[in-house]
Amino acid sequence: MTGTPANSGAGMPPTESSLEELRAILVQPERRSVDELRAALDGLQARLDDETWLAAAIAPILSEALRLKIRDARDEMIEALYPIIGQTVVRAVSEAVRDLARTVDAQMRATIGPRQVWRRLQARLRGVSGAELALRDALSFTVSQVFLIHQESGLLLQHVARDTADADTDLIGAMLTAIRDFTEEAFGDGRPEDLDAIQVGDRRILIEAAQRVYLAAVVDGVEPAGFRALMRDCVVAIAQDHAPALRDYDGDATPFDAEGDRLRRLLATEAGDARGREETPAPMSRGQKVALGGLLALALACCGATYALGRWGWAALNPPPPLPTATATATGVPPATAAPTATATATATPTVTPTTTPTATPTATQTPAATAVAPIVGAMTGNAFVHEAPALTASRTGAVIRLGHPVEVLALSGAWAQVRWTTVEEGERTGWVQLAWVATLDPIPGAVITPQAGP
Amino acid sequence: MAISHKVCLLGDFAVGKTSLVRRFVYDRFDDRYISTIGVKVSRKPIVVPGAQGPVDLRLMLWDLAGSEEFDVLRASYLRGATGAILVCDLSRPETVDSLMSYRVQLDACCPGARVVVAANKVDLAPDARAQALVVAAAAAQRASLTYTSARDGTGVESLFRALGALLVG
Repeated sequence: MTGTPANSGAGMPPTESSLEELRAILVQPERRSVDELRAALDGLQARLDDETWLAAAIAPILSEALRLKIRDARDEMIEALYPIIGQTVVRAVSEAVRDLARTVDAQMRATIGPRQVWRRLQARLRGVSGAELALRDALSFTVSQVFLIHQESGLLLQHVARDTADADTDLIGAMLTAIRDFTEEAFGDGRPEDLDAIQVGDRRILIEAAQRVYLAAVVDGVEPAGFRALMRDCVVAIAQDHAPALRDYDGDATPFDAEGDRLRRLLATEAGDARGREETPAPMSRGQKVALGGLLALALACCGATYALGRWGWAALNPPPPLPTATATATGVPPATAAPTATATATATPTVTPTTTPTATPTATQTPAATAVAPIVGAMTGNAFVHEAPALTASRTGAVIRLGHPVEVLALSGAWAQVRWTTVEEGERTGWVQLAWVATLDPIPGAVITPQAGP
Repeated sequence: MAISHKVCLLGDFAVGKTSLVRRFVYDRFDDRYISTIGVKVSRKPIVVPGAQGPVDLRLMLWDLAGSEEFDVLRASYLRGATGAILVCDLSRPETVDSLMSYRVQLDACCPGARVVVAANKVDLAPDARAQALVVAAAAAQRASLTYTSARDGTGVESLFRALGALLVG
């Protein structure tokens, strides 16, 4: 600081007040700065004490910092966050699975009605297990809102909601239309392809369109089979009922107030409700009834014919038992022996058994057949050569019994059966065929029919 | 009984269509819709005098993107519109020139649509040529002309009311 004695009061010692004044002049800028800084610091301190402000202030920086960190060190971030997020996710998933298990369990316990049994049977026929069916049933389905929207203008015609209606329903309807228009232009490749559904988190917006109007249903869960068809039926019916009003729509939605009930029926659809539409057949027309009656009559006729043929075949396979006299003649047994066998009682057997005149062939086996044993009938399961004795080495008779030909089993010998069959040309014949080619209706009582050893 | 009408706002990029809508209605939807799919819808209920008394009118305002990338989509968005506001910027004469092409596009999609012209940004220093052009354009289209400013609200209410009156008339 410089000055001349003349203008600074030379010789006069500076007073305290003048010094103070001088000091004030000299440090005034700095003092002002200090005051400003102090005020700023106070303000900053106050803000730092305000946690809400602090959080809002650092949030953008924090999110950006996190984004950068995740980009640069993903693994590190995953390791750091896993203890928190991993446990949260595990807990949420476990809870969800437990809920599902409880629901499935309740379903399984409850499904004892005829409808459920029928559904299970149907599921089985379609290759779905009962557990899968119960799981499918456990997945809830609710319709929360239904919009009826004029397709061209996007104006809302009618809206129903499960809860309180949103005030912005007409805006939602218009924006849905805009989104439909956008997707049609952007992805339609020039074809008139409609947007079917929009996924919004867990919710979906299902869309079904008719010519000038479309339905948009906001749903939670997986829609049951037939729900789409219900929507389609509904919107087509509305389009038909209001065709003139929709063609020249003037913005007045009053005529569509009556459609609220129809939309509310969609709103009331629960999981499984719509299934009935597919499963319940439509009433049959007269032509269908006539055709069904004809088919039933044909089936009855077939059954009758089958029965009659069966009876005829049975009769053919079960001819009346041969007269005992024939046996007696063949064996050369005196006629007197025939008398007891005709009674078909066991008492006659001892009379026959002691054959005092052995024959060269084992025809003696016919003797027991003539006694108490019922004829063993069967049929050939293949074409077989007839042998004269129960062995492959035995000479063939030259006859072949054809597949399906009825035979009567007379005797068994190991893997061979002695059979009797009848042909038109040669009449009744007997011979040995391999047992493998003979099928009988009843088991062959081997203990009874036993061939006697031939000479 | 409220009558709903679909009204489209058409005009070049940055002429102030969105600002006009925002000034006229309080809307909840985000402007990002426009940059995403090229349109944002707002709603404004108004009462206008009709032949048989006041009519409750619900204007569904479709604010269409003015940028060229949405030219193809514009025709789809115009479908079913019964009214339109052609918006130009008085400080940019070229935006007035475009009005006729928008009108042609509108007439192709919605032949009977009622139209008003909004000469926006009247609060800025108007371009003399633009002023002359817009008067001529409105006259050529047989549409009423309203000078508006979305910034200070000049003419905004009367613009939409004029269109409302046309729609119920």
